[in-house]
Parts: sequence; structure tokens; C-alpha cells
Amino acid sequence: MNLLAYNYKEIFFQQAKKQKNVFMLPESQITGIDMPLPMIDVLEMIADNTKRRGCPVPISEKDAYGWTEGLNIPHDGETVLFTGLLYQLTPHIDSLVKYLDSLEKSSIATLAMKLGRVAGKVIDVTKIASPPKHRVEEQNNILRNIAMLLMKSGVSFGYIYGDDMYSGVLLYDLGMEDEFEKHAEKVYKRLKEIGVKRIITIDPHTTHIMRKVYPNFIDSYDIDVKNYLEILSEKGIKGRGLKKEVTIHDPCLYARYENITEQPRKLLESIGIEVKEPENSKTMTFCCGGPIESLSPKLSKGIASHRMNELTKAGKEIVTMCPICYSSLIRVKPEDVRMEDISQYLAEGFLGGVE
Amino acid sequence: MKAEEILEKVIEAMEDPVLREGLRRGVNASVPAVIRALTTWPNLTELADYVRKRKEEVLKNIDYYINETLKSIEERAKAKAYFASSREDVLRTVDSILGDGKKIIVKAKSMVTEEVMLREHLAERGHEVYETDLGELMIQIAKDKPMHVIAPAVHLTRERAVDILKSAGVEVTKDMKHEEIVSRVRTFLRDKFMRADIGISGANSIAADTGAIFLVFNEGNISLATTLPLVHIAVVSIEKIMPTTMDAFAQTLVQSGYAGLFPPTYIYMIAGPSSTADIEYHRVYGVHGPKELHVILYDGGRKNALNDQVLREQLFCVKCGRCEFACPIWNVSGNIWGGKVYGGPLGLAWTAITEGIERAAPLSMLCLLDGACREVCPMSIDIPKIARYLKNRYVRESRK
Repeated sequence: MNLLAYNYKEIFFQQAKKQKNVFMLPESQITGIDMPLPMIDVLEMIADNTKRRGCPVPISEKDAYGWTEGLNIPHDGETVLFTGLLYQLTPHIDSLVKYLDSLEKSSIATLAMKLGRVAGKVIDVTKIASPPKHRVEEQNNILRNIAMLLMKSGVSFGYIYGDDMYSGVLLYDLGMEDEFEKHAEKVYKRLKEIGVKRIITIDPHTTHIMRKVYPNFIDSYDIDVKNYLEILSEKGIKGRGLKKEVTIHDPCLYARYENITEQPRKLLESIGIEVKEPENSKTMTFCCGGPIESLSPKLSKGIASHRMNELTKAGKEIVTMCPICYSSLIRVKPEDVRMEDISQYLAEGFLGGVE
Repeated sequence: MKAEEILEKVIEAMEDPVLREGLRRGVNASVPAVIRALTTWPNLTELADYVRKRKEEVLKNIDYYINETLKSIEERAKAKAYFASSREDVLRTVDSILGDGKKIIVKAKSMVTEEVMLREHLAERGHEVYETDLGELMIQIAKDKPMHVIAPAVHLTRERAVDILKSAGVEVTKDMKHEEIVSRVRTFLRDKFMRADIGISGANSIAADTGAIFLVFNEGNISLATTLPLVHIAVVSIEKIMPTTMDAFAQTLVQSGYAGLFPPTYIYMIAGPSSTADIEYHRVYGVHGPKELHVILYDGGRKNALNDQVLREQLFCVKCGRCEFACPIWNVSGNIWGGKVYGGPLGLAWTAITEGIERAAPLSMLCLLDGACREVCPMSIDIPKIARYLKNRYVRESRK
């Protein structure tokens, strides 16, 4: 059912041979040149997937909604937990990045670029490996913990399963606003159809897109958006002391676009955690490199290393609040450094060490 | 250029340890310096808001302010005023001022003259041209490009600096300390200052009500370059116009504060050629300073950008370069991520304005949209918005 499946090498060489005046090295000799990816092809792949499947990379229903198993969250409601699938997608995006990284290191991409786009699609989604089980399970734990934290705080909310949709953030960030607008309209229409009035978001990108960006594209947008860290911090739930020191990495979107910097600190401190500030923090935070990962894994890694350096100068235990930050930074994490999503600490402190 | 080629250059820069080290030093020195300036003199932040408002006034009525400025230059400052729409206009005007014969020219660092490649043009015509800002002098000799809008040679190490200076005849050696290198440069340039026929500068701002130009500097080079020669030519881009002399001064304070160089060692106001009437009230021009002052107001795509609701924002830029130090991509590659002249976050729109959208659009594809640039901008320019706009342009064009 992979509609983007092409045997790219075959198509590429066949078409390249048909072209006159093109000097072709034997396939075996074209290796080892480190060249950038054909950007537009990557974008087309992301746009095409989002259009056909609703997500930038393929993800099974089980990987998207399996985390709810055993939680018995009501199936509907005016207030719903809206994950925007970003946590769920991250292991799959990781696999895409790994695949792109291998392409970046091969020369197929370069040749395709130099010949123009005669070669057809260079990116082949069937080549993306499925993510390791433990990564999927890690994300599921995070999601379960967040849901349980919200329950504990006394918020009543539902979950809409198949209608918990991807926000389209990559389309927006990569310069495909036409497609983004169409996607946003689709998502919004569906949410209204099923009577959603308020959503609780759990990551910086989905929070920002649903709260500040959708209203720019959709007339009379009227869904109220709250982030779970804002809710937990307002509710002031009681937890136990963990007696730890962690270095906080603010996601750019929370800190500079959504004004969420004090809430996570307050929550961590309320469970006995001493929050260490790295060189650049709060509104002056430094990017994790994640936003460029699908166009250049290499550049992304370079920026991640830069940030990791700043973070480890402040401490050996790091807390992140965004799945993209987490996966960018984990790629360059030194062995002696521990890194966790904030929900894991909150669960430990507020839920008494669940998972 | 395609976005892939830019990416390739940026990655190459990222993997250059010497460049990275230079950039790191620049960032480590400048970022705390700006914060220090803004906490020690908190009124700089208020002044920045004020400057933005005054710039809005000018941008809304640009034709009026251009005319007022040209009039003031002639009538109040008693200088010659010119308006140049294009690079060719600037070069033609400068050529006609220079007249026949080979001249010795000393230059102040100026991004606008970089834009029109004035130095290269003058050298090609056989004039002897010297940049007098140390950083810019090294850029000139190395035929490099300015790596930062304020600190052009931020990426050069001492060793590299020695190599470069030596190749131009400055008497320096590898074992010299920073102090000694600078003193040799002083000797080298002092001779050029004394022999120069022409001084060329840009301006950090210009006042519409008096025609006075303001120049901010630390080395002392600009006062010499604009005072010792008998002729001074200033090339000033139109977004540097401020309604009043006070406003123009305010802009220089904001720029230097947000560049982390506050207070700057010198702020020089020039409101006409040097003159005296001390003998029988008879006005004589050119006493110790220039006899002639020529001010060229340069458009270079700016008026056009005013019609573009997104790019227009960049015309508020005071070019302090703080966004460059804050940008993750700039941190790993300097102005390699940029157009011919301008790089980093401010370089996206400035490249679009001065070189065309098609040159700037591919650059934007590397932008992380992390917003650090907007956060530190004294004029609160929404650079991520500009980047999104350019990304959409690039994707649309590339898909055709």
C-alpha cells in the first residue's frame, strides 16, 4: 500500500541512460561522495505522504493509537487530548532521517540533482526501516504518563482515537503553505464535525500550530488550545520529592512562541527537582537542530552537538519537553549523560513512579 | 544557486575547525557584551522602541524624506547631494567626483559600499584603495567576504591575520603579539591616511532636517579617513534616513548598544565640509578637513521592498548584527550562509532586497525558524516570518 514505492535505482539508471550526452560512471564506482539531498524530492515525499496518509511518514494505527490500551479514556467529549501524533511519529521520523542520512552519504542523490529531476523520485519510503520497538514503547510510555497526569489533576477529557490527527507542522515549516492550508482545513473540519471545543496539546509544535497558526489560515477558528504543562501547573497537584538535579532544555516553540517557560520549572521544582539552567535558556534557548533534520541530517547533527555541549556544561542529566528535541539531542548524546522527557519526571513525582 | 549548493557550503564551513573557533570566540565575546550593555543602560531598550517609531515615520513617507534629506545636504550642510537608484548610478557618481588621474583613497568600513562593490570598482580603474578598519583591511587583502555585519574578520585567527597582513606589505611576523600587530598596521595605514586624496565612508544614519551624517567607530580610523583627505564621499542607503538629528543620533546609540560596543569609542557627526571665516568673515572651505563633501543617497532595491509587506520589515534593521550571533546556523557557518554581502538571519531579507528574491529564497530553506533572531532584534523584526515567505517562494519556483 506504499504508493510512493519506486525502485529508484532502476528507474534512475534507465532514465539516465536514455539521456544523451550524459556521462555515466559504472554504478559500482559511484560511492563515497558526501553530497546534499535533493531537497525538493524530500519535500514532495513529505507532502505526498501527508496528503495520502495524513502523516509525513507512514505509521500504523497501532503505533499511532496503541498507547491508549488499558487507559479507558472516554471516546468523545468537548475537551479532548490532542497529541497531533508528534510523539508517536518521532521514532518513524528518526528512521526516515537515518535513511536520508545514508542517501546523503551516497551519490545517487547528487547525480539525480545534476541531471535534473529526470530520474523521478529519489526517495523511496519503502526503504525506511520500521523503528525499533523500544523507541515506540518509549513514546507510548510518555503518552500514557501524560494522560495519567491529566487524570490525576482532575481534568476530564476524552480521546478521539483515529481523529487525533497530525497538525501538518512540517508542511508549514518547510515552505508548503498551500498544502498546509488544505491539511489544516481538513483537520479543523473533522474536529468540528465531532464536536470538539477544547483541545489539550502535549508538544510545542502541535501547541503552536493549533493555537497560533491555524487561526491565520481558518476563518472563525474557535477551538480553545491548552498545553498540558499549563494545565498541570495551574492545577497545582501534589507530588513527592525526588531530590535530583536536572538541566533544562527549553524548546524554541514553547519559549519564544508560546510563552511556556515558567510552568515546567515550577512543576519540576514542586517535586523536589533542582532545575539547572544551561548557557542559553528560557527565551534565549538554542535550537536542537531538529527543524533541518529532514533536509540535512548532517547539519542537524552539527547544531545538536553545539547545543549538547552547552547542556552538558551545566549538568549530566537533561530534561527535554519536545519529541523532536529529544530525538535530535539523543543522536549526539555522550554515554554518561542521561536524558528524559519531562513527563517521565512528572510521572515519577506525581504518580508515584508509574512506569 | 540551489538550496543544495548552499547547504553544501554551509556544511563545509561547519567542518572547518578554524572558522568554527573564530565564530565561537566572536559569539563568546559579543553575546555577554550586549547583555551587559542592555542591563547597565536599560534606557537603550526604550530608545530602540523610539527609533522603530521614527523609522516607521520615514518608511511611510520615503519620497518626502529623501527629498528633505537631499535638500538639507545642499542647503544646510553646504555639501553636494546625489540620489543613486542603482549600483551603476553610485559608481558613475563616484567616478565623476574623482575626475581624471589616479587617486589614493582611504575607506571606512561600509556595508553599502560592499553592496555596490565600490572598492573593487575603484581598484579596477587604477586607483589605490585602502580599507582602514583592520578587520575590513584583512577582508580586502584576502579577497574574502565580511563574515559578520559588524565584525567582518571574526573568523580569522591571529596566525591567519599575520599571513594576510604580511602579504600586503604590513611588517608583521608570526611571533608578534596582538598589540604589536596592531601597531604595525597603524604605521602602515598612517602613511596612506596622510597621502590620501579621497576619503570614502558609509553612514550609520543621516538626518533629514540637517543633512548631517553619523558614523560610529572604535578604531579611530573613520575620523582620519573622513578628515585628512580634501574630499569626502559618503554613500548612504535610504533606510538610514531619520527625521531629525536627534533621531539620527539615537539610532547610532541603539545600533552600538545592540552590537555590544557601548558606549562606542567614537560617534562622529559630519554636517558639511570643513570651513573657517576667521579672516574678515570670508568663508573658506577646507581648513584641516575636507574642502568638499559629497553625499550619495542610495536606493539599491529598498524603495521596491517597501511595496512588499513582508520584506519591508527588514528596512527597520539597524544592522547591529546581534541576530547573527544568536542564530544556530550562523554559529556553525558564519556569513557563508548568506548572499554576496549579507549573511545570517538579517542576510535573508537584505539579500532579497539588494540582490533579488531569487538569490535569497534558497538561503531560507536552511532556516530553523527557531526565532532566536527575532528575540534579540532591537527592532523586533519578525525574521522567521520573512524566512517562511522566502521558503514558500523557493518551493513554488522549484516545483515549476
